Amino acid sequence: MSVARVQRDVLSVEWVKLELIRTAYATRGGLFAGMDPRAVVGWYAAMALAPWFTHNLTTVACLFVVAAAAVVLARVGPLVLGLFVIGLVLELVYLALAATLFGGDLTAVVALLEVTAKLGVLSLASLAAFVSLDPEKLSDALLALRFPPAVAFAVSYGYRMMPILVEEFATVMEGYRLRQLPPQQRGLLGWRVVVHWAVVAVKAFYPIFLNTAKSVRTTVEALEARGFTFATIDPRGRAIRIGSLRLGPLDLAVLAVTAALVAGCYAAGAQWPLHRS
Amino acid sequence: MRDDPVVEAVDLSFRYPGADADTLRDVDLTIRRGDFVAVVGGNGSGKTTLCKTFNGLVPHYWSGEFAGAVHVAGTDTWESSVARLSSSVGYVYQDFQNQLVRPTVRDEVAFGPVNFGLADHAERTQEALEKAGIAHLADRFVWQLSGGQAHLTALASVLALRPEVVVVDEPVAELDPAAAVEVYERLSELHREHGVTVVTIEHHAEFIARYASSVLLMSDGAPVWHLPTAEALARAGELAEHGIPAPQVVEALARLGVEGVPRSPAEAAALVRTAESRGALRRSGPRTEPRTRTTPAPPARAVAAARGVSHGYRSVGGDLQPVIDDLHLELLEGDRVALVGGNGAGKTTLMRLLAGIQVPRSGTVVLDGVDTRTERPHRLAERAAYLTQRPERMFLKASVREDVELFPRSRGVPDVDALVDRILDRVRLTAFADRDGRTLSGGQQRRATLAIGLAMRPALLLLDEPTASLDVGSRDDVIAMLAELSGSIACTVVATHDMHLVAEWATRVVVLDGGHVLADTTPRALFADPDVLARAHLVPPQVAQLGTELGLDPLPLTVAELAAHFTTVPLGVPA
Repeated sequence: MSVARVQRDVLSVEWVKLELIRTAYATRGGLFAGMDPRAVVGWYAAMALAPWFTHNLTTVACLFVVAAAAVVLARVGPLVLGLFVIGLVLELVYLALAATLFGGDLTAVVALLEVTAKLGVLSLASLAAFVSLDPEKLSDALLALRFPPAVAFAVSYGYRMMPILVEEFATVMEGYRLRQLPPQQRGLLGWRVVVHWAVVAVKAFYPIFLNTAKSVRTTVEALEARGFTFATIDPRGRAIRIGSLRLGPLDLAVLAVTAALVAGCYAAGAQWPLHRS
Repeated sequence: MRDDPVVEAVDLSFRYPGADADTLRDVDLTIRRGDFVAVVGGNGSGKTTLCKTFNGLVPHYWSGEFAGAVHVAGTDTWESSVARLSSSVGYVYQDFQNQLVRPTVRDEVAFGPVNFGLADHAERTQEALEKAGIAHLADRFVWQLSGGQAHLTALASVLALRPEVVVVDEPVAELDPAAAVEVYERLSELHREHGVTVVTIEHHAEFIARYASSVLLMSDGAPVWHLPTAEALARAGELAEHGIPAPQVVEALARLGVEGVPRSPAEAAALVRTAESRGALRRSGPRTEPRTRTTPAPPARAVAAARGVSHGYRSVGGDLQPVIDDLHLELLEGDRVALVGGNGAGKTTLMRLLAGIQVPRSGTVVLDGVDTRTERPHRLAERAAYLTQRPERMFLKASVREDVELFPRSRGVPDVDALVDRILDRVRLTAFADRDGRTLSGGQQRRATLAIGLAMRPALLLLDEPTASLDVGSRDDVIAMLAELSGSIACTVVATHDMHLVAEWATRVVVLDGGHVLADTTPRALFADPDVLARAHLVPPQVAQLGTELGLDPLPLTVAELAAHFTTVPLGVPA
C-alpha cells in the first residue's frame, strides 16, 4: 500500500487538544466572554428554558435562529460546532429511519422533530455560554450562586485535567500504534481494523488511569497544604472570590436584548402559529 | 545565622499504613532558623517522608504509625493541621507540574491566600511573584510555561503564605541545568535577603557545594550526621557510599593528593596552582592516550539522515511555531550521538522525526534507506525505536514482560519467549518481569524501557533524557548499559542535559539551538569551545572546567584523564 504522509493541522490529536484549550479558556473572545459570569449563567438559563413552554413550532424555530446567532457571536470553535452538527444530523437520520421502520408516518417524525429542535436550542445555548466562560469564571459564578465549593472547584480542576488526559490518551494510543501491528487482513469495510482500534481504545484506559492517579496524589496533597479544605469551612475565601464580580452595562444590555428576543419569538409564534396536527 | 531552631524532631518514627517497616526511625534533628540545608541520601532513605513531617502531611494526611514529636516554629505538628502549618512551611514537589491547580500564574499564586481568606491576598500574591522573579508571567496560562517557569510558579505559590521554611524536593531532577541554576539562585536570594530557611532534597554534590550551608545525610530512615557543607563534603567516601559521589573537583584533588575541599572549579584550580608552586605537583604529558576515534573511519553506512528538514507546531493562537528550521544531519553506523541544547531547542521533535513517528513539514528524513513519508509509522518502528522521557508512558501492559513482548509477538517474530528472556536478563530485570512497570524504581523503569526498545531490534535507538531524575548510582548504571549496547544497535542517539553522560558515553555531540545544528563535534572539542557552550547554555563537567582553568591540552573528560596530566612529587623530594 503506497502512502504519502503529511503533517496535518486539523483533525489530528494535537488539533483536538488545542481546540479543547481554546474552547475551555475562551481564547477566541466573543460577546459573552467579556460579561459577568452570573449574567452569562442567567442568559443561559433563559435561553435553555424558553423553548419548553410552548408547542408552537414557529416559536421554537425563531428561538433556534436566536441561539444560532448567539453561537456565531460567541465565536464557537470548529470542533464543538462540528460535533454538534454531526450529532444533530445523526439524530435526524435516526428519527427518519426509526419512524419508517416501525411503521410510523411523517407525523411521528414531526413530533420528534419538535423535541429535537428544542434540544437543539438548548445545545446551542450551552455551546455559546460555556465556550465563553473560562473555568475560573464559571466556578466563581457557581460559588456566587451558592453551589458547594467542592463543585465549583471540580469544574475548574476538571477543565485543567482535560488537556492532560487528552495528551495521556494520545501517548498511549501512539504506543499501541507503533508497537502493536494492526491486523493485516482488513476484512469487509475494514471491520478487523475497526475492532482492533476499539479494543485498543478500551485497553488504553488501564495505563491512562494508573498514570493519572499517580500524579493526582501530589495534587491532592498540594491542595490540602494550600488551604483548599480550609476554604470549604471558612467563608472568607468565598467572599474574596466573588467580591470581584460586577454586573456592567454590557451584561444588562445583553440580558435585556435576550428577553426582548425571546418575547419576540413568542409574539411571532402567536402571530403565525404552526402546530403539528 | 540565628541560633534558634525552626524545625525540631525528637524521637520521630513513622510507618506508612500497611508497610512492613518504619520509614523513619528515631530521628533526632534540629534545623536552625536561616539555615540552607541539603538533605541527601540514597533512594528509599526516607528523605521525602522526613520533609513531609515538617508541614504536617505526615501524620495528618498520611495517617500511619507516628511516634515522637516534630516542632515547627514552636508549634507541635501533631496538635496542628496541614492548613495551619502551611503558613510556616512551604513544600515544592519533585513533580511540581501536578502541584499547579489553577489556569493562570496569578490565580495559582493567589490560591493559598484567597483560600485562607487573607485580606492582603493581592499584596501577598504580587510580593510572591516578585520574590520568585516571575512577575512578568503573571497572566500566562500554566500550560504555556517552560519547566523552569512552572517550578518558580510552584515556589511563588507557597511563598504567598509567607512561610519561614521552604522545602524543595529535588529541583534538579526535572529541570534542565540552566533552569535548575535559576531555581537555586532564587532560593539562595530568599535565604540571604529574606531570611527564609531553605531545605532541599538534592543528589547533586555540585549544587550542594555551591548553595547549601549544611548537609543532612539520611540513611535507612535516620540521619547519619548533619554537618556544615565543607565538613560534609570532606567526607567524600561516606557520601559516595550513600549514592552521593563527591563533586568531580573534590575527587580530582583527592586523586592528585592536593589538600582542600574546593566548592567550584575555580577554587580547585587555585589549589592546584598553589600545589604546583610549592613543587608538590608537576605537569607531565598525559600518560594514557585520551579516548579518540582511532579507527581510520571506513565509509560508514548512514543509518538516518535529515535533509533540509523544517517542522513546527500550531499554538493556541493558531500561528505556526517553528521548532526545527532547515536542518541537515547524517547519523552513521557506529555513532554514539548525544543531542544537546536547552529546553525548546527541538531535541524531542528531531528525534520523533528521525523515528518516523511524525513527518516533517518540509525536507526529507531517510531512515535506514526509507523515506519516512512513504511508510507507515508502525513499519518504521521496525527500524527505529524512540523511548520517551517519562518511562511510565511506555508501560501499556500490566507487567514488564508483557510490555517487552508486545512488539515482537504482534509481528510474529519466532521464539519470542527466548528473545524476551534474553533481553530481560541483559537489563537485569528478570526478577521484576512480572511486576507492573510503574511500581519499579526510577532506574529500573529506565532499564525496562530500554528492554522494550531492544525487543524492537531497531537499527536506530533514540532515547529522550534517559538519565533525568535518576540518582547518581542508577544514572551510572544506565550509562554503562548504553555503552554495552553498542554491539547490537547500529546507531544510538541520546537527547540529554547530562554533560557527564556526554563526556563518558558519546563519541559525537550535536548541539541544537533554535532548530539549527549549532555544532556537530566530539565531546572534547565541544567542552573546549567557549562560544558554543555559551550560546547553547551548556555547562561542561567540572573536570573539564578545571582542565580549561589550568589550560590543559588535550582537555580531560574524566578524573583519570586529568590525573594523567600531573605527576605527584613525594614530600621531601625537591622538585
